[in-house]
Amino acid sequence: MVALKIDGIATSVPDGTTILTVAKKLGIWIPTLCHHDVLTPYGGCRLCVVEVTLDGATQIVSACTYAAADGIEVQTCTERIIGIRKFIVEMLLAEAPQAEVLQDLARDLGVTPPERFQPRNELCIACGQCIRACREIVEVSAIDFAHRGYERVAASPFFQRSEDCIACGTCVDICPTGAITKRDIPAGEKAVVADGINITGPARIIDNWKVGLALKQCEKCGEHFAPQFQLDHFSKRASLPDDFFNVCRQCRT
Amino acid sequence: MNAKAIKNVQGLKKEGLVSLFPDKIKIIVGSASCGLAAGAGPVFEAIKTGVKEKRIKARVTRTGCIGLCHQEPLVDVIIPDKPRLTYGKVTPQAVKKILDALKKGKVPQGAFARIDTEEFLLEGTSRTYGTDSEDPQIAQIPGFDVLSFYQKQSRIALRNCGFIDPGNILEYMAKGGYTALAELLQSKSPQQVVSEIERSGLRGRGGAGFLTGRKWKMCRAAHADKKYLICNADEGDPGAYMDRSILEGDPHTVIEGMLIAGYAIGAAQGYIYVRDEYPLAIERLQKALKQARTHGLLGDDILKSGFSFDIIINRGAGAFVCGEETALIKSIEGDWGEPRQRPPYPAQRGLWGKPTVINNVETLATVPAVMHNGAKWFSALGTQHSKGTKVFSLVGKVNRIGLVEVPMGTSLRDIIYDIGGGIPDGRAFKAVQTGGPSGGCIPAELIDLPVDYEALSRAGSIMGSGGLIVMDDKTCMVDVAKYFLDFLENESCGKCTPCRVGVKRMRELLDAICSGSGIIEDLALLEKMALNIKDSALCGLGKTAPNPVLSTLKYFKDEYLAHILLKKCPAGVCKNLITYAIDPAVCTGCGACLKACPADAIKGEKKKAHKVLTKKCIKCGACQEVCPVGAVVT
Repeated sequence: MVALKIDGIATSVPDGTTILTVAKKLGIWIPTLCHHDVLTPYGGCRLCVVEVTLDGATQIVSACTYAAADGIEVQTCTERIIGIRKFIVEMLLAEAPQAEVLQDLARDLGVTPPERFQPRNELCIACGQCIRACREIVEVSAIDFAHRGYERVAASPFFQRSEDCIACGTCVDICPTGAITKRDIPAGEKAVVADGINITGPARIIDNWKVGLALKQCEKCGEHFAPQFQLDHFSKRASLPDDFFNVCRQCRT
Repeated sequence: MNAKAIKNVQGLKKEGLVSLFPDKIKIIVGSASCGLAAGAGPVFEAIKTGVKEKRIKARVTRTGCIGLCHQEPLVDVIIPDKPRLTYGKVTPQAVKKILDALKKGKVPQGAFARIDTEEFLLEGTSRTYGTDSEDPQIAQIPGFDVLSFYQKQSRIALRNCGFIDPGNILEYMAKGGYTALAELLQSKSPQQVVSEIERSGLRGRGGAGFLTGRKWKMCRAAHADKKYLICNADEGDPGAYMDRSILEGDPHTVIEGMLIAGYAIGAAQGYIYVRDEYPLAIERLQKALKQARTHGLLGDDILKSGFSFDIIINRGAGAFVCGEETALIKSIEGDWGEPRQRPPYPAQRGLWGKPTVINNVETLATVPAVMHNGAKWFSALGTQHSKGTKVFSLVGKVNRIGLVEVPMGTSLRDIIYDIGGGIPDGRAFKAVQTGGPSGGCIPAELIDLPVDYEALSRAGSIMGSGGLIVMDDKTCMVDVAKYFLDFLENESCGKCTPCRVGVKRMRELLDAICSGSGIIEDLALLEKMALNIKDSALCGLGKTAPNPVLSTLKYFKDEYLAHILLKKCPAGVCKNLITYAIDPAVCTGCGACLKACPADAIKGEKKKAHKVLTKKCIKCGACQEVCPVGAVVT
């Protein structure tokens, strides 16, 4: 256990607990964008920065990656910290002004979109949640970052059709800005997935990764319930019987 | 360690001395990248073939950078009993003359400097080349010790560069190399080594200036089954080539430094992370590692002491951010070269999750000297908090571009004027950028600033790895800030928002200012962004990225104001803000500008004042360059 103070509140927590977790337990609000409780902390968006003082020296660190240590004093809400958070939201607002999560943060922090910068109108803010989810939860690693610096973006390998993506949609659900889209097309409908790659429904498409996968039909109700490729992946991973996914979840009693 | 191993080292040293001082003519070609770029390759070949053809009894060898990069290719000639003579800007044609003279038993003409004695820093001795100073031809050549380029220098990390053949371990040993290692393996505990380095006050030469001894101590104290040592040779600052020169000129000192560090912290495996753009450094390192292994100085049971240590070369793909220690570790692990937040520091949890020390090339090159000559000797040099010497690559608008090493606390004036020979073409000194792209511009009024970690930091810059870019009055400081931000924008890994987006947006504002669309509010906005990025970026690259803007805003605000309010670039650099015109009162109508203009934008009759057609002018400045009377104004 380590003993620390956070916004004046003395508390002790198990070794390795991050400041963000401590704050959450105490009901102290620290905004985050790239953080998700089930994923490895990343420390990229820098929205969760706090001031940590130890032996008289103050450091600004990301709360999501900083493990609480004995004797530290944490300030989550100083003028300096608020200034940084506003700055980060301003910068991201110029990137993705349409993102609701940013609009909400802007409202909470009292930030207006910066006028001096041309909006980029690109929803991906490179938080990497989709990539970590695909790697750590789905264990597929179908996507990763491409390019570096300002051009950095989550992408399928070489921006080509991802061969590993199982179109599970975890990336879609976890994306904080709605930058990834998933759609199902009905039987007979044609769609272009990528250059030269066409697919006929029933199929599930994730445009971002240029993936279109044929959907499996339930032997009982006839609904097209999930991509076959995805079902194969889960059967193998969970060592399920071959006929396990012959019927959909609703029809499996 | 047994006596046989020690005796072996002594024996190899003797062999090295014979190689260093053969009893025949020795011709040495400066063959570091600076020399090779200037044409040392063909010069070396010409000497090799010439010596053979003319049947001159001479030993021809290569050496590293002696620092006089502006004089490359350099050839040194040692005739027995005579001082060592240095010839600059040697061409294959000039080689013929040198060899002709040697064949006739004469001293070749044209040497610009001579060295009478060679220092053996680690031995505390020196060796005189030749006593024959009666020769009037030689007597008139200035000695190295009186050359202003060398007078204020003190070479510790560079002690062997330019003197030994980097491909010959015996020459390194002759200069006292590997003696420090042999001694401490025999008589010092790792703890004692750490204490010695701590007492010396040696600080990391790679950028942040963290105390080397403290870093080692932290790693030594960490409990783990394995520990690692990494030599950071991912030198990426524009205009910086200190580490490359050390690796090319004296690879063994880095290897010995690593062995000492490995022994001190308890590591058995070392890595050299060197950028692939340094092929010559890699080649020489590989050769040096092989030699060290052959002589039992690397690998298992070194010098029969029971201490085992080996080194792997890891080539970096050239990302600037990989010089940041956490990104470097990720890169070695085969992951993306991206930084992570510290703590935990690498000394606690580093490579493969094990305690790791990362030291820069120059730091490690200094270590053998500190261990050999003692902490007291080292800490006597320098200032109160910055001990020893620092290597700088002196580049930009300075007469004598070169690699220099001076005691900490030497003033910028001494470095730029005495060593560097001042500003070319009689122009005025305006500023010097220290610390690379993450550093800051120090203005002319601070020219007497003593260069150490604290003074540079107080002036709004950093020591960084040691690049010094000198600028004259034809340099636009807003343009300089834009250049560095542009570099950092391209080199940002993109992991954190402040660096990825913030630096790009700052660069956009600078673009606007340079192109005439800046507004006065931009200055406050730039400052606000800079301070926020400094506070919140993930790694050192991001945290220091705004420095070029902050320092130029601090010292050269008037230039920013001129760009924004007057729409003028005082230095005449920002194309959108300058118009070329010819002063009819000065123009002699010689027609030089008319001929030089690539855009047909100048008209005028002979002997009458010429005119610039502004609409056609592409602002290349060719007219201004050729005008013999200075009639072209902006």
